[in-house]
Amino acid sequence: MRGIIFAFLGGACITLQGVANARISQDIGTWQAATITQLTGFLMALLILLFVRDGKKDGFKKVKPLYLLGGSFGAIVIFTEVTAIQMMGVTYTISALLIAQLFLTFLIDVRGWFGVKKLKLRVPHFIGIGMMIAGVVIMKF
Amino acid sequence: MLAGILLALIAGSFVALQNIFNSKVNQHTGSWSTTTLVLGMGFIASLIISLIVEGKGTFALQNMQPWYWISGMIGVGVVICLVQGVKLLGPTFAISIVMTSQLAFALLWDSMGWLGLEKVPFNFNQFLGVLVIVGGIIVFKFGGKAKGTEAAQAPVLGRTGTQE
Repeated sequence: MRGIIFAFLGGACITLQGVANARISQDIGTWQAATITQLTGFLMALLILLFVRDGKKDGFKKVKPLYLLGGSFGAIVIFTEVTAIQMMGVTYTISALLIAQLFLTFLIDVRGWFGVKKLKLRVPHFIGIGMMIAGVVIMKF
Repeated sequence: MLAGILLALIAGSFVALQNIFNSKVNQHTGSWSTTTLVLGMGFIASLIISLIVEGKGTFALQNMQPWYWISGMIGVGVVICLVQGVKLLGPTFAISIVMTSQLAFALLWDSMGWLGLEKVPFNFNQFLGVLVIVGGIIVFKFGGKAKGTEAAQAPVLGRTGTQE
């Protein structure tokens, strides 16, 4: 039960984050909003890290440098998500976003790109993706 | 509308890419080390783009309201909730609930128009659409899971160091 509550609140926070960014963007601009929210998030995470110290000291050195740059995608994610929310509302945006997210993750898993363990294609994968796309189509009617 | 869908699809694709990259970092460090790095990188990238696009306007923040300064901390809440959720439920179940909750709150937000966003009146088709999408997520996540591949399903969630 506790796990369900955490997961539920986590999802709520993710949507809230998009909405808050969209709201802040109205007042100060989208790139500025992305800059400031990630700065305060970074500072807060850093503060927690100083208490928790969960990383091994030379852990980052073992990671391929390319992967260390993944965080910079956050700029693109925030900009495109905020602009989409402003154009068509939160529900359409989150729906399309989740579909693309699941689909690309699936593609990467199936192809084994970036050295991830290959996933076997199964029928429910196609049914699931088909249902998700159908859901967006239903919304438009 | 089409432009909006396209933008949202781009956002989702980059979330997926970021998740893979972040999970690679997370394998060698911890959740908070990863999260700190990820948000720091996001901050630097946004600042650079903002300086290129807006120039000095980047620092024209006269319309800031006090809560704007702390909104970034929502991301910290996301990490705490996801790490605990995945730990207690496993990735497949946890992420299914997370995504369902994301959609439910999206619908709630549109129909309430909270925080001064444009209100999108509740309509039954949107509700039905969300239900079908949630069904799709569940079929995809649980039906697509081969025995003992729980870990392979994990790297699906956003912007943080939360993939276990």
